[in-house]
Amino acid sequence: MPWQLLWRNVLGHPVRSLLTVGAVAVAVFLVCMLQAVTSGLSRTLDAAAANRLLVQSAVSLFVDLPLAYQQKLASIPGIDAICKWQWFGGRYEQDKGGFFPQFGIDPETFLVSYPEMTVVDGDYAAFQKERTACMVGSDTATKYGWKVGQTVPITGTIFQRTDGRPWEFTVRAIYTSTSAAVDKISLYFHYDYLRESVEQGGATGPEGVGVYMLRVTPGTDPLTVQQAADALFENGPQRVQTTTEAEFNRQFISMLGDVPTLLRLIGGAVLFAIFFAVLNTMLMAGRERTRDLGIMKALGFTDRTAGLLLLAESLALCAIGAALGLLLGLLAEAPFAMMTAAFLPGFGFDRDTALLGAMVALGVGMIAGILPGLRAARLTTVDALREVG
Amino acid sequence: MAFVPFRYNLRSLFVRATATALTICAIGATVAVLAGMLSLQQGFATLFQERGREDVAVFLRKGATSEGESGLTREQCDILAKEVPEVERGPDGQPLASAEVFLAVRLRKFDGGETNVAIRGVQPMTFAIHGDDVRIVDGAPFQPGSDELLVGEGLLDRIANCHVGDTLRINTVTFRIVGTFAGKGGYRSEIWGDLERLSQALQRPVRSRVIAKVRAGTDLAAVQARYDADLRVQPRVETERTYLASQTGELSGRFQLLGGFLAIIMGIGAIFTGTNSMLGTIGARTHEIGILKAIGYRPWAIFASFVGEAVLLGLLGGAFGCLLVLPFQGAETGTMNQTFSEVTFAFRTTLPVLAQAITFAAVLGLVGGLFPAWRAARMTPTQALRRG
Repeated sequence: MPWQLLWRNVLGHPVRSLLTVGAVAVAVFLVCMLQAVTSGLSRTLDAAAANRLLVQSAVSLFVDLPLAYQQKLASIPGIDAICKWQWFGGRYEQDKGGFFPQFGIDPETFLVSYPEMTVVDGDYAAFQKERTACMVGSDTATKYGWKVGQTVPITGTIFQRTDGRPWEFTVRAIYTSTSAAVDKISLYFHYDYLRESVEQGGATGPEGVGVYMLRVTPGTDPLTVQQAADALFENGPQRVQTTTEAEFNRQFISMLGDVPTLLRLIGGAVLFAIFFAVLNTMLMAGRERTRDLGIMKALGFTDRTAGLLLLAESLALCAIGAALGLLLGLLAEAPFAMMTAAFLPGFGFDRDTALLGAMVALGVGMIAGILPGLRAARLTTVDALREVG
Repeated sequence: MAFVPFRYNLRSLFVRATATALTICAIGATVAVLAGMLSLQQGFATLFQERGREDVAVFLRKGATSEGESGLTREQCDILAKEVPEVERGPDGQPLASAEVFLAVRLRKFDGGETNVAIRGVQPMTFAIHGDDVRIVDGAPFQPGSDELLVGEGLLDRIANCHVGDTLRINTVTFRIVGTFAGKGGYRSEIWGDLERLSQALQRPVRSRVIAKVRAGTDLAAVQARYDADLRVQPRVETERTYLASQTGELSGRFQLLGGFLAIIMGIGAIFTGTNSMLGTIGARTHEIGILKAIGYRPWAIFASFVGEAVLLGLLGGAFGCLLVLPFQGAETGTMNQTFSEVTFAFRTTLPVLAQAITFAAVLGLVGGLFPAWRAARMTPTQALRRG
């Protein structure tokens, strides 16, 4: 294989090679981004813990469960801990258009039930002790420059304070997470603070609990707990639906509509476009090089070498393009993860995504190189030399 | 002022048919993605705008931006329905107003997943207010005070147990489906039933909103201002059209953003492809360019000629992209709207969408053609004729 000739060919048309490499890079970048979203979705589901069950209203996402349910749930055998979750839905004052979730929780049972979380700054005990304290995710803390000890104002939308002022929470702990199932952007505060405010007239809003998290004792089958919880409230007043954490997350994803199909369609279009682009380049290269091929063959190079040379050129262009596209993807990963953190904590490039991008590019290079390669191999020396321009 | 005859460019595209076809495919795929995203956005946006009416007022709690957030007591609803003089009255003297309870409930989709479907408890006057916008197409209307439901036709193919004769369990009460209704816009993805029965079944005594037919030319801002200092009720009042348009903004914007992002990135790739193709064309036609120059065409004429060819190539790609998208026309899909409830909407490739897609394609061709055309224009006749 005359390698030197290969590079001469690639470099002989610098503009064309650059443009082709650029087109491949763009395609690989897009395919990888789309794949990172799809795999992010499944990662979020896979990372869900099997020993956590969630009890919510079977009627609607927007209906709270009575507080009295906690005692009844606690009577089910095989439960280690119960933690209340209440969606707060507030807006951070300086946050124009941005968004991060806030929840009221039970600090006593929260962190022990979520071993995926670790406090990286501040102190969880301090958070647990102070009624108006909060714990925030490291991404959100970094985004707004929050420090431990600082007070952050959050305006309520569902829970409004009667004095018309925003709620104020003091940051006592900053957490990070090692799992795709637990995001790094939420703000957690004491559920009891919220409940007391509503009960004592300091705020208005629904009384009740959005979700009860049940941590199942090791060795207990979550399914029996699940069925027992559902059976408890079968006749009302508010029926409940107990699901595993994975199923709970899946429900939210399925509500978005058929995202995977949409992404696949787009990915298909990208591939379609890039395939024709590379094929076009290689056909042009093959045609232009007809004369060179004639000379090569006259000098004694085999048909096979002549064909392989074009195939290798196609593969080389696509490989360089793939490398560039992957590099772009890696550079874009962090800002994208930041943008999608609220609804897709699992977003990220992994090895499989990069592999897919590379394989796609090489596959395109292969198929697009075969056609011109075959033509080059079949060409007779006389025909090739006779051809003008 | 002598342009190179455009026939020359047309013929060239035919002579190099393979390269032309491949470039058209590459540009076409890019345009198809843009047109597809815009079509989804169109389908979603028109869904909410087409049925908003100017003579129907929507009353929410002050500060609420959607029905989901709003809450009015029974007494407050009565005040609004009976005391606002702008509200029209029916032949029996009753105000044309209806209090409604709204909640997105969990229902099973046919494909197995679960989704939130908007359920709306309404008063009988609703049908008089909506007129032809809401029509029963199958079965009969529900009897006031009964456990009967009407299902919007948009849900029939997506949600399980939604056909006439089926039963649906809402919390602890079993409701019977007695009819199907057609409605423009978002209503066709909702389930309607009796206000009192639904609010009992859902354990929700609070109403979500009041709608009312108002006299033509009513100034709703003035109506709202009148209650500014009222201690009994402080509503937010707007026309149905304004209300519905405000509900679609976020998701519509998301489609546009995604479409724009993909179009820009894929567009860059397509421009590379177009440039490549035109460079190839010019490389192979060096001789011809030399002849054009030799017979006296000015450089700008040659530049214009090749740019024109590139734009034509882009337009052909655009047309191909539009063809790729058209088979999806009318296909229905569903997603979550701002109140987190499922809405069914159709893929709508409208004329403006096609126009935008074609314009985008022409721009791709234009940008891709500039550099190669400049190169062609700069060649001197001797240079050009000597080569090849």
